[in-house]
Amino acid sequence: MEIQRLASLAISDSGFIFDPVSGHSYTTNQIGLEIIRLLKEDKDIPEIIEYILDEFDVNRDEFETDLIDFTQNLKSYYLIGD
Amino acid sequence: MKITIAVSGINAVDNPGPGTGIIRSLKQSSLDVRTIGLAYDTMEPGIYMDDIVDKTYLMPYPSSDQDSFLKRLEYINSIEKIDIIISALDAELPVMIALKEDIENLGIKILIPTKKMFALRNKTELKKIAEAIQVKSPEYISCTSLSDLFNAVEKVGFPCMIKGPFYEAFKVNSLVEAETKFHKISAKWGFPIIVQKFIYGEEYDVVGLGDGKGNDLGIFAIKKMTTTSLGKVWNAISIHNEKLAQATKRMVQYLKWQGGFEFEVLIENKTQELYLLEINPRFPAWVYMAGACGINLPERMVKFLLFNEDKFPSDYKSGKIMIRYTAEIIKDIADFEKITTLGELENNPKITEFSNE
Repeated sequence: MEIQRLASLAISDSGFIFDPVSGHSYTTNQIGLEIIRLLKEDKDIPEIIEYILDEFDVNRDEFETDLIDFTQNLKSYYLIGD
Repeated sequence: MKITIAVSGINAVDNPGPGTGIIRSLKQSSLDVRTIGLAYDTMEPGIYMDDIVDKTYLMPYPSSDQDSFLKRLEYINSIEKIDIIISALDAELPVMIALKEDIENLGIKILIPTKKMFALRNKTELKKIAEAIQVKSPEYISCTSLSDLFNAVEKVGFPCMIKGPFYEAFKVNSLVEAETKFHKISAKWGFPIIVQKFIYGEEYDVVGLGDGKGNDLGIFAIKKMTTTSLGKVWNAISIHNEKLAQATKRMVQYLKWQGGFEFEVLIENKTQELYLLEINPRFPAWVYMAGACGINLPERMVKFLLFNEDKFPSDYKSGKIMIRYTAEIIKDIADFEKITTLGELENNPKITEFSNE
C-alpha cells in the first residue's frame, strides 16, 4: 500500500487532519487517528486489526467492515494508494 | 531612506484590485515607504484608506491617449519623486508596457511583463505554454454566435463550462442551460463566450515574481476555499504542492517572466494532473496573504529594483487561512470634494477616533 502522502499530513490530537499538499482538511475519531498512525508505521491490515482489537473495546466483524470503509475513504482522498 | 511607490488597482470593491493588498504588504515590510495611489474613479475605496494610501492622484483612463497618461505621470512625479510604480490593473498594463521606456526616463523603476507575456491571456497562447511546461490545458471552443454554441457543446459534451471573456463561469448540464448562460454572460461581458470541457477537480493559485531572466524571486501557493460569483478568491488556505511549484518554476523559466504574476491551475481529482487555466500578468488581489505568510513579493520587487537583491527565502507556512471581509470607512465630504475637483487627496493616517464635527 502506498502511504507516502500520509507522512506529510499535519495531524492534531483532536482528530483534525490537514493535508498541506491538497489544502483539504478532515476530521476523524481516536480509532481513525490510531489507524493512520499504524499505516504510517507501515503496518499491514491484519496487524492494524489485531492492534485495535487489543486496545479498544470493539467488535471484530464491525471493525473489519469499518476499516475497509475507512481505507476506501483514504484512497478516495488520494492519501493512500492501492 | 523613504521610498516613494506608486500603486494602481486600489479599487478594493467586490471584484477587488490588488493595489491595497500590495500597499499593505509594503507598509508592513522592512521598507520605509510613502505610498501613492493611482486611481481611475473617485469612489475607489483605496483613495480614502488613511493607513494604506498616503496620497492618491486620479489618472486619465488608460483607454484614453497615451500622451495624457504620460503627462499625468510626469506631473505626479514632479511632486512626489516616485522611485517605483507597481502596476496592478489589467486595463492599465498595456499602456504601462507601451510607456515603459518613457517611465524609466523619468527616473522611475518598473517591473512589468513584456507585450508578449501580456498576450498570454489569450487562450490559444495558453495551450502552447501548457505543452511547453508539461501540464495539460482544458479543451475549449470560442463562440460568437448561438450556432457556434450548439456546435461547441455537441463536441465538448455535458457537463461543460460556459465562460465569459473576462469574468464569470457556469457549469451547465443541458443545452437549455447552456443557452441561458450564453445570453446572460454575453449581455454582461460581451464575446467571445468560451465553452470548455468540465474537469472534475479543484482550483489552485500561485502568486509569484519573476526577474525577467528565468528565475523566480519567490512563489506562494493556495487552494481556493470559497470564491465570489465572479470566481474571485474570498477565502484561501496556503499549501505546499511540489508538482504545482515545479510547474510554476518551469513557466517562469520558459517565459523568462518579468514582474508579478498569478498562475491558476486546476488539479483533476481522478488523475491528479495539472490543467493550466490562466496566467495573470500582475499580482492578484490576495497577494497580501503571501507576505503575511513570509513571501512578501511587493517588498521583494522593490528590493530587486532598487538594491539588486535577488536572493530571498523560499519557505513559508502551509495551513494558514485567509479570511477576507467587508468593512466601511466614514469620511467627510471634503475628501470627496478634493479628489473630485483637484484630482488628488492627501490622507491623514493619524485619524483613528470618531468625529461628529
